[in-house]
Amino acid sequence: MSDRNRSKPFKHRLVPIHVIISSEEARLLLDKFRIKPSQLPIIYTSDPMAKHVKAKPGDIVKIIRKSPTAGEAIAYRYVIER
Amino acid sequence: MSLLEEEPFKIIDGIKFGILSPNDFRKLSVVEVQMADTYDEDGVPITSGLMDGRFGTLEPRQRCKTCGNTAARCPGHFGHIELSVPVVHVGFSKLIYKLLRVTCRNCGRLLLAENIIIEYKEKMAIQEQMLGTLSNQIFKEVEKKAIKSQTCPHCATKQLKTKFSKPTTFQEELEEGGINRLTPSMIRERLERISNDDLKVCGLDPDVARPEWMILRVLPVPPVYVRPSITLETGIRSEDDLTHKLVDILRINQRLRENIEAGAPALIVQDLSELLQYHITTYFDNEVSGIPPARHRSGRALKTLSQRLKGKEGRFRSNLSGKRVDFSARTVISPDSNLDINEVGVPIEIAKRLTVPERVTQWNIEKMKNYVINGPNNYPGALYIVRHDGKRLRLEFVTEREKIAEALQPGFIIERHIGNEDIVIFNRQPSLHRMSIMAHKVKVLPYKTFRLHLCTCPPYNADFDGDEMNLHVPQSVESQTEARLLMMVQDQILTPRYGGPIIGPIRDYITAAYVLTKKSTKLNRMEMCRLLSAANYSEKFIPEPIVKEPEQLWSGKQIFSLFIPDGLNYVSKSNLCQQCAECEYTNCPNDAYVVVKNGVLERGVIDKSSIGAEKSESLYHRIVKDYGTESGRKFLNSMCKLLTEFITMKGFTYSLDELDLSKKVLKKIDKIINKGALKVSDLISDYQQGILTRLPGQTSKESLEIYVMNELSKVRDEAGNIADESFGIENHGIIMTKTGARGSSLNIGQMTACLGQQAVRGRRIARGYKDRTLPHFQTGDLQRHAKGFIDSCYRDGLDPIEFFFHAMGGREGLVDTAVRTQQSGYMQRRLINALEYLRVENDSTVRDSEGNVIEFQYGEDGIDPAKSDHGKAVNIKQLIEMMKIMFNEGDEASEAYIKKYIKSVEKGLNPFLATELTNQILKTKLTKKAVDEIIPKIVESYNDALVEPGEAVGIIAAQSIGEPGTQMTLRTFHYAGVKEMNVTLGLPRLIEIVDARRKPSTPTMKIFLDEEHRKTKESATKVAKEIVFTTVEDLATIYIDMLKASIIVQLDASRLEDRDVLKENFEEAINIANCDINISDDHIILTPTAITDLTKLHGKVASTPIKGVSGIRRALVTKERGEWLINTDGSNLSKILKVQGVDTTRTITNDIHEISAVLGIEAARNSLIEEARSVLEEQGLDVDVRHVMLVADIMTSRGQIYQVGRHGVSGKKSSVLAKAAFEITIPTIIEAASKGTVDVFKGATESVIVGQNIPVGTGLIELYMGLKTT
Repeated sequence: MSDRNRSKPFKHRLVPIHVIISSEEARLLLDKFRIKPSQLPIIYTSDPMAKHVKAKPGDIVKIIRKSPTAGEAIAYRYVIER
Repeated sequence: MSLLEEEPFKIIDGIKFGILSPNDFRKLSVVEVQMADTYDEDGVPITSGLMDGRFGTLEPRQRCKTCGNTAARCPGHFGHIELSVPVVHVGFSKLIYKLLRVTCRNCGRLLLAENIIIEYKEKMAIQEQMLGTLSNQIFKEVEKKAIKSQTCPHCATKQLKTKFSKPTTFQEELEEGGINRLTPSMIRERLERISNDDLKVCGLDPDVARPEWMILRVLPVPPVYVRPSITLETGIRSEDDLTHKLVDILRINQRLRENIEAGAPALIVQDLSELLQYHITTYFDNEVSGIPPARHRSGRALKTLSQRLKGKEGRFRSNLSGKRVDFSARTVISPDSNLDINEVGVPIEIAKRLTVPERVTQWNIEKMKNYVINGPNNYPGALYIVRHDGKRLRLEFVTEREKIAEALQPGFIIERHIGNEDIVIFNRQPSLHRMSIMAHKVKVLPYKTFRLHLCTCPPYNADFDGDEMNLHVPQSVESQTEARLLMMVQDQILTPRYGGPIIGPIRDYITAAYVLTKKSTKLNRMEMCRLLSAANYSEKFIPEPIVKEPEQLWSGKQIFSLFIPDGLNYVSKSNLCQQCAECEYTNCPNDAYVVVKNGVLERGVIDKSSIGAEKSESLYHRIVKDYGTESGRKFLNSMCKLLTEFITMKGFTYSLDELDLSKKVLKKIDKIINKGALKVSDLISDYQQGILTRLPGQTSKESLEIYVMNELSKVRDEAGNIADESFGIENHGIIMTKTGARGSSLNIGQMTACLGQQAVRGRRIARGYKDRTLPHFQTGDLQRHAKGFIDSCYRDGLDPIEFFFHAMGGREGLVDTAVRTQQSGYMQRRLINALEYLRVENDSTVRDSEGNVIEFQYGEDGIDPAKSDHGKAVNIKQLIEMMKIMFNEGDEASEAYIKKYIKSVEKGLNPFLATELTNQILKTKLTKKAVDEIIPKIVESYNDALVEPGEAVGIIAAQSIGEPGTQMTLRTFHYAGVKEMNVTLGLPRLIEIVDARRKPSTPTMKIFLDEEHRKTKESATKVAKEIVFTTVEDLATIYIDMLKASIIVQLDASRLEDRDVLKENFEEAINIANCDINISDDHIILTPTAITDLTKLHGKVASTPIKGVSGIRRALVTKERGEWLINTDGSNLSKILKVQGVDTTRTITNDIHEISAVLGIEAARNSLIEEARSVLEEQGLDVDVRHVMLVADIMTSRGQIYQVGRHGVSGKKSSVLAKAAFEITIPTIIEAASKGTVDVFKGATESVIVGQNIPVGTGLIELYMGLKTT
C-alpha cells in the first residue's frame, strides 16, 4: 500500500501517508467517536496529497503520521471541495 | 453549594441576536421622551424628559415609577424617541449598501434568475449537510453574481448604479446623468420590498432581522443606570456623555418636526435630517471615519455606545471577561524561609478584614461564640452573623457582643476572620501560566507584607524589590476543596511546559547545597544537631560519624542523605561537570558524578542540576515524581531549612578582593587585548587599502565590521576565560557560577578582566556625530575605542567614554525588554484566545467547543506533559537502573520470555514505548525477577501519565508557548550555520509562525542534494549556480544610447563566468519583441522597431531572466553532517523540486504556505511543528512538543493554514461573545444581529461573560437525574 502511494513527488519526508478509507471503515470511525464527518479535520480536494490519492468530496482520508511522541499516529481528514 | 443561602439560579441556554423592530420597541418602551431637558430648577426630573422617573431611579431611597423597586433592585427600563424622519443606523450601512445593490430597485427581488436562486439554495443545503454550517463564502458568491446583473431578471427593470459614501450617504447614478440622493425613507421602502426567501439566500435571518429595521424610526433611550448623572462636590450636576448626546438628538428632532409640520422648504428639512443623522451616528459610534467626532464643551471627544464596548477598557474586556472582586487583598511581598512551601504569610491586619463563612454546629459552637465575642477588631474574630432567616448582622455595629454570642444557634453562619490553615488563592501578575495563581494555606503573621517561601519565586517570577501580590479567599466549600485538591503549591511543582519541576531551590540554596555536600565539609556533633533540629528531623536514626578521633565528625553528604527518601537510586552528573573527554565516573576529580544509592548520597556534590528549580530529570524531580508531591514538599521544606541554617552557620560572601587578579594574569590579559587590537588595526588598514577579502553578499565595510566584531568578541572571551580560570573553586564567585546558583563566567570575566564590545542593534556603536561616535575621535576612526569596545573591567571602573558607550548598550537592553514584553504579551493573548476552548474528551480526543475533532489523541500519545517525565510517559532507563540495583540476583530472563511478556501488555502501551521497552530490557539483561517487577510497573506509570478527560489542553499549550516568549531575544537577525546568512529567529520568528504570514521576513530554503551531487563541493556548487536567479542586470551593464535611440548591453565576461552563463545562452535569452537585436563581440545593441519609451525598455531588458529559479536571491554551499547542501536566500519550493540534482525528499523551506501548496496540509502541519520547535530550541527553551503540536493542529485543522488571531482561528469561533471580547467587537455583534446567530456558551470566554461554569476541567462535570416516570 505504502509504496504505491508514495510515488515520486510525494516521497518528501514531511508528507505522511494518505489513504482513502472504505465507507465501512468510515462508518466505524464515525461511530467510535460519535461524530458527523463534518466534525473531522478537513482536507481540500485541491490539496496536493488529496489529488494524489484521488480523493473526492465526502471521502475520509486516513493519515499515518510519524510521531515524535507515539512513534506512529493516525489521523483522519474529511475531504471537501474548496 | 455555598454555605450562604443562595437563590436558586437559572442557567442561560443561549442568546439569540437580532434587530429590534420599531413596533416591538414601542411595546417595550415605558416612556416616550419628548423634552430635551433633564431636571427642572428644583432638581426634580422632568416628566417625559431624559431623566423621567419611569426609567428607574438613581436616588437612594426613591422608588422606580415603573416597577416600584428601589435603585438596588430595579433593573432599569428603556424609553424611546419617535424620530421625525427615518435615520440610517451606522453599523448596518455597509449591509444596507449590499442589499441595495443585490436587489431590484423596482420589485425588490434578488437580482438573480429564479433557477440560479434555487441552485444556490440547493448548494447551501448540501453545504449545511456536509459541514453543519454555512460558510460566508457562498453568500459572498451570491453577492458577487447579483451585483453584476444590469437588469432585473424578474421585472426587467434596468438597474442603476448605487453609490455609497461613508458613513451613511447613499446615491443613485441616473441614466441620463446626474445623481439622485437616496433618503433613508426611500431606502426603507426598498428594503421593505425584499422577500424573506431572498434574504435567506443573502445570509440574513428575516425572522429576527428584517432589513427595514436597519433604518431607525424609533430610537431606544437607555435607562438611567446606563447613563447616571454625577453630582460634583460643588453641587453641580454633570450629565453622562450619552445623556448629552440624547439631548442633542431630541433638540434636532423637535426642530425638524416643527419645520416639517410648518411646511418648511425641502432644503431646510434635508439639512436638519442630515444633522439628525449626524447626531444619531455619533450616538452609536463616535469614531466613524469621514465625520468629525462629537465633542464635549471642553473639547474632549464623547464616549458613546461603541466606545463603551470596544477595546481594552471597554465593557467586554474590562467588565465582562474580568471583574473586580470582594474578599481580596494586595500588598508588598517579602521572603520567609521558615514557612512551608504551601503557606503564605498574611498580615494580621489583612486577616482581620477577610472572612470565610463557617456554619455553626453543635461541635464548634463554643469556638464560634468566641469569634463573635472578639468581634471585628480582635483577631480571631468575626465580621458578620447570618441568621436562619438570612438576616445579616454586622458585628461592627453591635455593642453587646456577648449577648449576641449567647444567642448563637447551630445553623447560623459566621463570617469569621481567616486564620491558619484556611485556603487562599495567591497570584502575581502577569499571570502567564497556571502556576501564577496557586492555592496556599494561610499563616497569620505580624507586620504588613505577604510572606512567601523562596522556592515559590520561580513560578510567580517574583522578587522582593517592591513586588506586590494579590490574594483571594474562596468562599464556598466547593471552591475551597477544589483549590485544595488542584491548586496547592505542592501539586504545581511539576510544570506542564516541560514535565519537570519549576518550584524548587534557587540562588543561595544551591550554593549552600554545594558547600554542604562537597568533600571537605565536616561537621561536629553540635553543628550536626543544630542542622538537624533546624530541618525538623524527627527520625531516631543518626548515621555513624565518618571521623571518630579526636572528635566525632560527620560529612555534609551524610546529613543531606537523611532527607532523601529511602530506596531512592539516582545517578547523574552535577553542574560542576567539566564534560571531560573521558568521564572517570565515580573517580571524578571534581566530585561531579552524583550517585545516590538506596537513599544515601554516596558520591558527588549537590547543586543546580540535582535539586535546582527549572531543571528536569534531577534528583529532586525523581523524588517528586516517584514518591509523590507530599514527599516532594517535605523534602523541599526540610532541605531549605537545613540549607538556610547551614549557610547562616558557615557564612557566604563574595568580597572585593576575590576579584583581584595576579599581576601575571593581568599581563596576560593585556597581551590578549593588545594582540586583538593589532589584528583589528591590520584589518582596518586592509580595508582602507581595499585589499580586504569580502564575504559573499556583503560590502567590504560590512565585511570589515563582521571581521572586527568576531576578533573583538574573541578578545573578550579569551580575557574572560583567563580570568575565570585563574580563580579556583574556593573563590565564592566561582562557586556561584559553577554550581548554577547565580551568574555566569561571562559575568566574572566582565568584573575582573575586560567588559568587551558594547553593541547597539547588534553592531558596534556607530551613531552620534558625523562619521564618529564622539568628538574625542577623528572622523572615520574605526579602531576599537572609537566604536565602543571597553578594555576596562567593572572592578577597575570605566573611563568616561567607556561609561558613555556602556550606557548606550544598557539603554538598548532596557528598550528591548519593554518592547519584548509587549510583543510576547500580545502573542500570548492571541494564543490563549485561539485555544481557550480546547479540551480532552472522554474518548481522549481533543475537541473544540462545537465538538470538532482537533486531535485524535492528545499529543498523539495521550500523555499529559505535566505528568510525564520530561516529555516521556515513563522513564524506562531510570526504572531499569533501579531494578538493576534492587534485583541483582537470580537467573537472567530469556529473550523469549521478555518478548512474550511485553506482547501480553502491549495493548495497554503505545507502540513507541513498547519497542523502547523491549530494546532497553534486552540490552541491559535483567534478571527474571526484575522483569516481572518492571513491566507491570511501567504499565502502571504509563496509565498514570495519561491525560484526564476535561483537561484544558488548549490553555495549557498557549501558556506553555507564550510564557517563555518573554524570555526570548528580540534580535531579528541571527547567524545560523553560515555566518553570512541572516535568518529571523527568536520571538519575531515565533510570532511570524503563529501569524501564518504570507511571506516570512527572511525566506530561506535548505536544499539537499541527490547522491550524485552531495559528495563534493564542486558538484554542489554547480547545482547552486543553476539555482540562483539571474537577470541581464546581474551579468551586464546596460545603458541607453539616446542618439541611436537604442539600448546597449555591455557584457561582462568575468560576471558571466562567475554565474556560469555561456554567451550563447545569454544571447538566446535576450529576445525582446519589437526590437532589432544586433549582437557583436562584447555587447548587444537593441533598437526598438517602433518608437517606445526607452527607460521602460531599459527596465524590461534589465529584468529579463537568464537562468535560475525566480525568488532565489543567493545560494550558499555548506557542509552539514558530512554532506554538501545548499542554503538559499529566497524560496520557491515548487520550482526547486524540479531542478536536476535536488533531493526531493528532504529539501525544505521556511515558508509554510509554500509547503502547504506544494506538499499539502499535512506537510504544512509537520513543518509548523518543526519550525516552531527549532525556534524554541535555538533559544534554549524547553517546551514539550505536544503543545506545539496542538497549535499546529488547530492552525491546519480546517484544510488550510489559519492564523492564530482575528483573521484565523479566533475569527472562526462560533461564539459571538467570544469573538466580540477578542478584537472586532462592533462588527461581530452587528453581523450576529443580521444573521440571527445564537450563542450557546459552549466555550470558555462566553461562559465567563454570562457568569456560568466554563465547560472545561471540573466545570465539565454535570449531574443528571432521570425524571420520575409515573
